Amino acid sequence: MEELLIVDGVWKKFGDKVVLKNVSLVVHSGEVVGLLGPNGAGKTTLLRIISGVLKPDQGRVSIKGFNPVDSKARALIGFCPQEPGLIADLTGFENMLFYARLQGLDGKSVIKRIKELLEVMGLTKDADRLVRKYSGGMKKKLGLATTLIHDPEILILDEPTTGMDPGVRREVWRIIEEERERGKGILIATHYMEEADALSDRVYIIDQGRIIASGSPEELKSKYAPSSVIIVEFYKQPRDLEGVLQKTGLKYIVDGDKVRIHSSDPDRDVPGIVALIHEEGGTIKTLHVAKPTLEDVFLKLTGRRIE
Amino acid sequence: MKWYRIKAFIVSGVKTTFREKSAIFWIFIWPIILVLMTAYVFIPPSAGQPVTLDLGVVNNDHSKAPFNGTAFIDVLEKIEYNGTKLFNVKIYDNETKLVDDLRKGRLDAGIVIPDGFGENITYTQARLTIYVSGGSIYSIQVNRAVMSEFLHFFSINVGLKKIEMTMKYMNMSYVPANMTTQGPWGNKSFIEFLEEYFKGLVLPVNATIIEETPEALSYRPAIVGWYVLGALGMMMLYSGFLVGAVAVVEEKERGSLERILSTPASETDMLIGKTVAGLVVLTLSSIAIIVTGVFVAGAKITWNPFEITDWLVPLNLILIGLMTIGIGFILSLLSKTSRGASSIATTIGLLLAFTAGIWFPKEWMPGPMRFLADIFPVTWALDTIRDIIVYNIGFNEAIVGTIRNIVVTTLIFMAGIMAYKKVIRKYVEQ
Repeated sequence: MEELLIVDGVWKKFGDKVVLKNVSLVVHSGEVVGLLGPNGAGKTTLLRIISGVLKPDQGRVSIKGFNPVDSKARALIGFCPQEPGLIADLTGFENMLFYARLQGLDGKSVIKRIKELLEVMGLTKDADRLVRKYSGGMKKKLGLATTLIHDPEILILDEPTTGMDPGVRREVWRIIEEERERGKGILIATHYMEEADALSDRVYIIDQGRIIASGSPEELKSKYAPSSVIIVEFYKQPRDLEGVLQKTGLKYIVDGDKVRIHSSDPDRDVPGIVALIHEEGGTIKTLHVAKPTLEDVFLKLTGRRIE
Repeated sequence: MKWYRIKAFIVSGVKTTFREKSAIFWIFIWPIILVLMTAYVFIPPSAGQPVTLDLGVVNNDHSKAPFNGTAFIDVLEKIEYNGTKLFNVKIYDNETKLVDDLRKGRLDAGIVIPDGFGENITYTQARLTIYVSGGSIYSIQVNRAVMSEFLHFFSINVGLKKIEMTMKYMNMSYVPANMTTQGPWGNKSFIEFLEEYFKGLVLPVNATIIEETPEALSYRPAIVGWYVLGALGMMMLYSGFLVGAVAVVEEKERGSLERILSTPASETDMLIGKTVAGLVVLTLSSIAIIVTGVFVAGAKITWNPFEITDWLVPLNLILIGLMTIGIGFILSLLSKTSRGASSIATTIGLLLAFTAGIWFPKEWMPGPMRFLADIFPVTWALDTIRDIIVYNIGFNEAIVGTIRNIVVTTLIFMAGIMAYKKVIRKYVEQ
């Protein structure tokens, strides 16, 4: 697999705040790389540097050997920021044409390409409507389509499915997987564990501007996560939930009405947890033991959950 | 720099402008309203024509003299100035009714002719009572001036007629035929001298008043033409400011700024594209304003494509567009949102339009505003256009102003480019 994107020892500072600290990563052709981290971890700044919008203070970024500020590098990448950057007073078709022209494309072949992409995204019948009348999901799909207009070798997607309903999210995942199969290198910044887990061949976990772990989701889970996670859902929460969980001596995440407790030996830990909950007046609705996720990896590494 | 990339910004800029209702109002509808209001409210088609006063007359004269009150009324009804009747005469039975109508604003002036007017004007000195009305200082001045001018003219003519009659009926046998007088006027017969002497009593100074106002401002089409260009200048001022002020911040708000900067399109492509889009919109609006001005409002705006001087007009229009867009880029430093940028651009644009000699002639301005008009480069360029198509100045005069405008536009636009780049950096690093 060819190394399409190399980020090597990048530092970036805004004023006194250091937002990226010696960040390095690689994206190969035909792979999806997840950049996983909480909001404010530095993901968007890193993507802006990779796409040539910002310059790093130190370090190097190479896109097939070109500096990102070079127009040759920019022609190789398709960058879709969190806000897809659509022009509300243009139609879907006109937005596609706008970004095609920015890539230096025009003429009949572009019209054909636009129609193909609108078909893939399921937006053909809405192509002539003004974008201001599109739903959030339609805008995200159109944003992705405009990113693909010049058939870039590297896709850089910032939170591509934020705010989407599950159906549209799965459609976008399908499109991303199709692009991977076509040999594209894809870098996705996300704070959705499920998305990183489902799509990524490799994941870089970033926290407070620093890459704290990397590897395939399975490698990360086997290396950092416990063998099992005990998931408890309550009818009635114990009087002092935090106190109960601390008494177990295990790492845990409170996720709404559910609690995820890390355990290397569930057979040993479950009876004690149940007893502690009952002692504090809690009533359990469900309790089951599951395999760990990347969220559990992040918890293990940072002691916090991803927000 | 590639044409397709610049074309992308031009097409999207023009299309989004035409799909925004408020932009259509400010760029097209408002200046056209101004032109029509100017032409049909402030300078109505009757402007420049002599006024006709509604004149009430009470005739108390019962004289038997050949020229009496009735004959005087006949003069009032028939007298014209430049083909326009001077008075609409309405006869009243008594002075009370006349004064009542004057107070109700139904009359501009009134004359009461006393009994004995005919004998008095023939043999001695006649008297008249004149009333002048008016809803404003301006109309009082006009009514008073018209009445005074008429009576002055009438008195002189009556005087000259009386001299003529005197000379005709004087018994010349009392004066020896060969009697002459000698003086600075030379050697004249005494009869000739006497006639000249009487004329001198009636009209000691025979002044000739020649009206010589500048052709451009002496009749309505030219005045309307001046204001049509004012409306055009006003539109270019706030619209150009707006184009420059929101150029970057609107992309930031859409989230498209970083997408654009991640494509092979450069900041310069965006700058050129947005500037040309702005110029296209301003040009279309200018054409709409001028067409409305000429064909609907009756403005005199002459442009001859075979006259090289006239080609300096579109050039100066482009310079105004570039100047205002450049100033708009500088104004974009003052705001963080497109709404804020739009408010700043519109407010400053309208303020300058009314205070810097764009809409009102700078000769009307008080000192400080006149200074502003004298140093504001957009006014320079607009004045160059007015000089060419309203005052018809020659090429040598117009080219000097145009070269000055080119130099100033270059400096302003360069400052605008620096501001534009600074604003982009500011938003990207946020």
